[in-house]
Amino acid sequence: MKLSRRAFLKAGGLAMVSYGLDPLFLARATYSQPGPSARSGRVLVCLFQRGAVDGLSMLVPHGDAHYYKERPNIAIPESAAIDLDGRFALHPALAPLKPLWDARVLAPIHAIGSPDPTRSHFDAQDYMESGTPGVKATADGWLNRYCQHQREHDETPFRAVSFGPELPRILTGSAPSLAIGDLRAFGVRAPNDATRDRLTRAFEQLYETAPTGLLASSAQEGFEAANMLKKIEPERYVPEHRASYPNGRFGQSLLQIAQLIKAGVGLEIAFADVSGWDTHVNQGSEQGQLAARLGDFANGLAAFAQDLGDRMNDVVVVTCSEFGRTIAENGSSGTDHGRATAMLVMGGPVKGGRVLGRWPGLAAEARFEGRDLAVTTDFRDLFAELLGGHLGAGSLEAVFPGHAIEPGRFVGALRA
Amino acid sequence: MLPASRHHGGWLVPGVPMIDASTPRAARAIVLAVAALALGAAAAAAPEPPPRPLSASDSALHVLQRFAFGPRAGQVDEVARQGALGWLDAQLAANGHDDARLAALEKRTPALALDPDEWARHFVDMRRAARAAKAGEGAPPAEMRAETREMLDQVRGIAMVRAVTAEDQLREVMASFWFDHFNVFLDKGADRFLLPSYVEDVIRPHALGHFVDLLIATARSPAMLFYLDNVQSVAPGTPVPPRANAGGARRTGINENYARELLELHTLGVDGGYTQQDVIAVARILTGWSMQPPAQGGGFVFRPRAHDFGEKVVLGTRFPAGHGEEEGVRLLRQLARHPATIRHLCTKLCARFVSDDPPDGCVDAAVAAWKASDGDVRQVVRAIAQSPEFWSAGAIGSKVKTPLEFVASAVRALDAAPDSGAKLADVVGRLGEPLYRQPSPAGYPERQEDWANSGALLARMNFAIALASGRAPGAAVDLDAILPVTADPAALVDAVNALVLGGAMTEHTRSVIVSELGDVRDPERGRALAVGLALGSPEFQRQ
Repeated sequence: MKLSRRAFLKAGGLAMVSYGLDPLFLARATYSQPGPSARSGRVLVCLFQRGAVDGLSMLVPHGDAHYYKERPNIAIPESAAIDLDGRFALHPALAPLKPLWDARVLAPIHAIGSPDPTRSHFDAQDYMESGTPGVKATADGWLNRYCQHQREHDETPFRAVSFGPELPRILTGSAPSLAIGDLRAFGVRAPNDATRDRLTRAFEQLYETAPTGLLASSAQEGFEAANMLKKIEPERYVPEHRASYPNGRFGQSLLQIAQLIKAGVGLEIAFADVSGWDTHVNQGSEQGQLAARLGDFANGLAAFAQDLGDRMNDVVVVTCSEFGRTIAENGSSGTDHGRATAMLVMGGPVKGGRVLGRWPGLAAEARFEGRDLAVTTDFRDLFAELLGGHLGAGSLEAVFPGHAIEPGRFVGALRA
Repeated sequence: MLPASRHHGGWLVPGVPMIDASTPRAARAIVLAVAALALGAAAAAAPEPPPRPLSASDSALHVLQRFAFGPRAGQVDEVARQGALGWLDAQLAANGHDDARLAALEKRTPALALDPDEWARHFVDMRRAARAAKAGEGAPPAEMRAETREMLDQVRGIAMVRAVTAEDQLREVMASFWFDHFNVFLDKGADRFLLPSYVEDVIRPHALGHFVDLLIATARSPAMLFYLDNVQSVAPGTPVPPRANAGGARRTGINENYARELLELHTLGVDGGYTQQDVIAVARILTGWSMQPPAQGGGFVFRPRAHDFGEKVVLGTRFPAGHGEEEGVRLLRQLARHPATIRHLCTKLCARFVSDDPPDGCVDAAVAAWKASDGDVRQVVRAIAQSPEFWSAGAIGSKVKTPLEFVASAVRALDAAPDSGAKLADVVGRLGEPLYRQPSPAGYPERQEDWANSGALLARMNFAIALASGRAPGAAVDLDAILPVTADPAALVDAVNALVLGGAMTEHTRSVIVSELGDVRDPERGRALAVGLALGSPEFQRQ
């Protein structure tokens, strides 16, 4: 019924230029040109812990004496921490991740962060999403730039999807990407299926020949996505292998990512965020506020891995957060804004069972400005390693402008 | 009073007389028609097919799409009779105080009556209660939280009410433009209580004033100084008393955040020719521009103890040693009049009013008006509206509406009444533009590629259908009052075209809607369907 964009372009792609159509539309349209799909089926899942998670609680440096000295009320006791390698231990609430460590598909990276020293949540998030620390003027996000520069991908509206109501900074830009709050509610809504189909068809026709370039192509991507989703029947999804996702938005986002991966709709980049990490007051220790958040986080990740089963061989999950928190606890049994934090990578391609990164130590002279955990791994080097090694990205300098990509600085997160 | 534009011999095309408020109404209509014909003829010489000549209604629709949040039901005809530029002149001359309907709606918004001291007091109480609750001393301040939420809902709600109902639409459009230009973020700490006064006392009064006054007002606003961390910018070496409740190490030293954004975003522009040394010098000049603690009202204060009294050089201009607050004012005046600032601002205004990539002609016209009027926003807007580029075929209908523009224009088109809560503002948020909640100091973007994402477009269609059938949250619709029920699909679609699309419906859209109406028996359902499809159509996403 509707003209596919690809056919339309093949028929008259060049002719359109002379009609003065939107150059951006043309730019977008070229994404759908068929080309070799080097790493077909590979997926990168990026999870953003907004609010600055305390990396020193996620990955406890129990071998570092300063840790217990600086945190009399909130340190994770030796007896409760889940030891990994004699130096570092997981927070007890992250116990669901221990089997993944044992199976060598999970690797934490310590002392990772931004080269920009801002302690502002919104600046630091902005930089982590734009991929250009210190540069405010960057218009697009690095995940979108990856899609812009790595065009060899199957034509699908689901290539890059964020789970949430708005498209996050990290995915904004000229490459098409979807923001989905709930797969079951995506598309034209109506009290019943017949009305929905009818309205969808009517809107589809309205936008079919709209001489409006970008609007028409975006709407068509939306309809394509909605129509594909209808066949997937997201409301009937049942997780496999008795995986049980936690309630709440984060667990539901992961469930929906798993669902799209299994549906084979061409998902390559998935993004979701999870908040509640800004623990200035009463952070807690092996139990408490932060432990509850971490428990939810770990249960979600573990359910995701279990649900996907063998499909995890094509998936890498990376977690990130804008910065870490102070080494010393503050006067309210919490922590303030610091510098480096910890991130996790998980998945079949991950060379796991090792703590990655260079540990700068907690000694006073090793700290940033005398107070915070120093950054020894630039977050861009981790993201670049995953884009290159896992997705086969060729133009990493274009994804992270102003940053020289030197594989020597990679932490070695992936199997060869 | 607006003096007639001094720097233009004519507008649209050479030889066509200029229209202003003094032109008699009938003469104005004729001029418009002539201009429209001339435009058509000029365009015909180009290789593209000739655009349809602009009728008086087309012109009216165009100015209402750009200098208002779209036409109210019936307004295209009114403005067509008045003349498009006549309407604009009236908008430019309006004082913003003669709108009884809006005044009544503002009166039912108690949050607007709070002064900055009262907001600050509430914030302090709230923070204290939250701390006590967290420390286990007392019940969680659920009531206070609810009260805060309710007050901020009113602040967001009244923004929608004004955008939709204000007679002085241009003032609302400019207020929205300036808020984005001088963006602050509601959810950053103290800005939760500083923002309401920032909107009411800084942005709105200067929306149609001189740029320099607005720039200085934002620079002296605690909301901006807190948002961009200038309150933490302290001359190096200044002894700083420890804070009562020190969360982290208190550092001295300049903070460049505001200085950088002042140059990059507020004035010169990213390519405005300044260096890192200029950023540092500006930051030093603005050390001491700070705010009182919230417990003392949170107002603006200049702290001489935090100020760097040394010599600075900015963009080659020397600021001699020994000066305090006044050197900051001198700097801001210099920045406001810098050629790079003028071009940056004029280009941005033309991107808003003409097209995403505005042609040089309208920018040049705006720059000339700016220079002749020392940055009088009214003169600049007027010059843009009188430039041929504003009326060119490439400009008309070329811009994609932002979510705010889409929602406000849809509600206006149906003469719907927004309620006093934040439901309509929440709709705008769900479509991707949460009001006052843009963390980036760049404000919300203006280009079509920022707004034409698939999920958001589908959400617009859903809002269109919901609004037309009276199910949209936050806006009460009475279609009977604006669109009589008819069983004749062709007549219905004509009426919907006039009401919703100002006559700009394409043949394709018309045929799709007529065919959809084919088997709808219930004429009321048919009417809602036609209106919903028109509001969700590609034509309505553009302006």
